[in-house]
Amino acid sequence: MPLYILRVSLDHLTFRLPSLLSISQTFDFPIRFVSEDKFRGILVVELAHKKDVQHLIDRGTLIMWIAELYAQAETYDDLHAQLRERPDLFDEYRQRTFKITPEAANYHFIGSRPLEIVKSFAYLDMRGGVELENPEVDFVVFEDYDSETIHTHEQRLARDGRFRTVYFGRRIGFSRARPLVKEQSVKTRAYYGNTSMEAEMGFLMANQTLARTGKIIYDPFAGTGSMLYACATFGAYVMGSDIDGRQMRGKSKGPDVTPGMLRAAAQYGVADKFLDLLTFDVTRSPIRRGGWVDAIITDPPYGVRAGAKRIGKKSTRKTPLREDPYVLEDGTFAHTKSTYVPPFRPYELVNLTLDLVLLARYLLVPRGRLVFFLPTVTEEYDAIDIPVVEGMRELKVGDGSVQDFGKWGRRLITMEKTAEDDGEMPKFEDQDINSLADKLPAHHDFARRYYERFAPRNNSTPDVPTDGESAGSS
Amino acid sequence: MVRLITHNMLACHVRNCNKDNFPLIFSEVELVIRETPENLDFIRRFLPKLDWTALVDTARSLGDTTLPDEQPVEMTDDQLRALHHVLMEMHVEEGNMTCRGCGHVYPISNGIPNMLLAEHEVGR
Ligand SMILES: [Zn+2]
Repeated sequence: MPLYILRVSLDHLTFRLPSLLSISQTFDFPIRFVSEDKFRGILVVELAHKKDVQHLIDRGTLIMWIAELYAQAETYDDLHAQLRERPDLFDEYRQRTFKITPEAANYHFIGSRPLEIVKSFAYLDMRGGVELENPEVDFVVFEDYDSETIHTHEQRLARDGRFRTVYFGRRIGFSRARPLVKEQSVKTRAYYGNTSMEAEMGFLMANQTLARTGKIIYDPFAGTGSMLYACATFGAYVMGSDIDGRQMRGKSKGPDVTPGMLRAAAQYGVADKFLDLLTFDVTRSPIRRGGWVDAIITDPPYGVRAGAKRIGKKSTRKTPLREDPYVLEDGTFAHTKSTYVPPFRPYELVNLTLDLVLLARYLLVPRGRLVFFLPTVTEEYDAIDIPVVEGMRELKVGDGSVQDFGKWGRRLITMEKTAEDDGEMPKFEDQDINSLADKLPAHHDFARRYYERFAPRNNSTPDVPTDGESAGSS
Repeated sequence: MVRLITHNMLACHVRNCNKDNFPLIFSEVELVIRETPENLDFIRRFLPKLDWTALVDTARSLGDTTLPDEQPVEMTDDQLRALHHVLMEMHVEEGNMTCRGCGHVYPISNGIPNMLLAEHEVGR
């Protein structure tokens, strides 16, 4: 079966394999990772069919380009020997215009070396003529070096040719997904908030949901919609809800005002993919039935300033929730005024996380996915932090995908609904935190611990926060 | 937005309101038709999730009478197209959705419904 080389970004390494696997699952084709070391600048994969390459090109945001692998070796001598034995690989292209491009990872070509490399392939006997701008066939020679810190010019020269592996292949195409990261950058988006997530993470998450045409993807903490644009760009219908309608709308009010999220969606040409945006508290949700959502994608708010909220009053408040509507002096009900907002109380992340998994168990179709970020204190994280719910299971590659910020991180959780039935709408009751197993999950009380610079739990003296970073989200 | 596909998934969720809480009744509506690319496979797949009677009644209340009283056992492409129009292309941009059970009014502005409950409606 044909082998391909993927030129891949060295960023977000723990997201690399999960995102490639998700693309293969979205379009239902097999992919096998052939490289021994799967975390270098080149990844060799085996695909059953040539047409599957296109899906990786369309969806792989960590991919730069893909080539059909013709040979790989530790030395040029070996590489040339292999290619000399396979003139048949070139027959189809012999009369086409072509070019040969030397490229490298952890290394920069200087001087005449690239030209010498190109000349060394003269025996390939390509007869269609060299065409540098728009060749019909684009061969690539790729040298993969180890990462090294260099101080002098001599050290720099000594590295020439001391690569770990050299690859030769025919380039099939450059990623069409990777440029989207820049095109949909928050900086140039028509509408965003101060906690909007960077587009690159949005696309990585969207791949985890198996987003594609004809699917419905829902974000119950939509905020300014960061992840929904990516899902819609991949062809899915999207729906968002938030307890704070202003996040979805923006500041402008009045008739004929287009909500902010829809302005950004229009900028990206996906406004018709936005099924609906609704203001409600997910713990008091008007959704009447389960089993119809293909994926839930969300980055729950866990920030220091903007933590998650739900309708209710803090337990420390003396007055309980009202049993009867509040009547204003003019005899009308307060809650029928357009300016009415019910009281909110904090939504503890431990409760929110369990509720999210239970909600997914209910709303998702069988084998639908829940994809969300969980903030966590790095040293305390344990697999037990992911709630165990009947009918849902975590999909994890290796140690999972983490965006590491040092003392804390964001862990991307992907879960699949294994149950066939809809089950029941969760009750959204508070858990008794004290009764939780032997230890508290690492994301418990996350905002306060962030503020305290993650001092151990038994030491309650907070450092003075220096700030600069922020633990915002969505 | 509000599209009827979403409206068909929504019921009044005021505490103890569990009779006649679906479908919510539209009133004072500003309706906008927006053409949307057809995906009839999607419509076909979504069909079992719909409450047909609620959908037909709602579409008629908004002036669209293309759907038959009884859900056809096999849908023709023309019927799927009519359904696509009703579910995906009719947008209620302004107006109210009212619960027949408890009378709660959910207002819609700029296409976004406010479905936050009041303090006394959530219970506990
Ligand atoms: Zn009601």
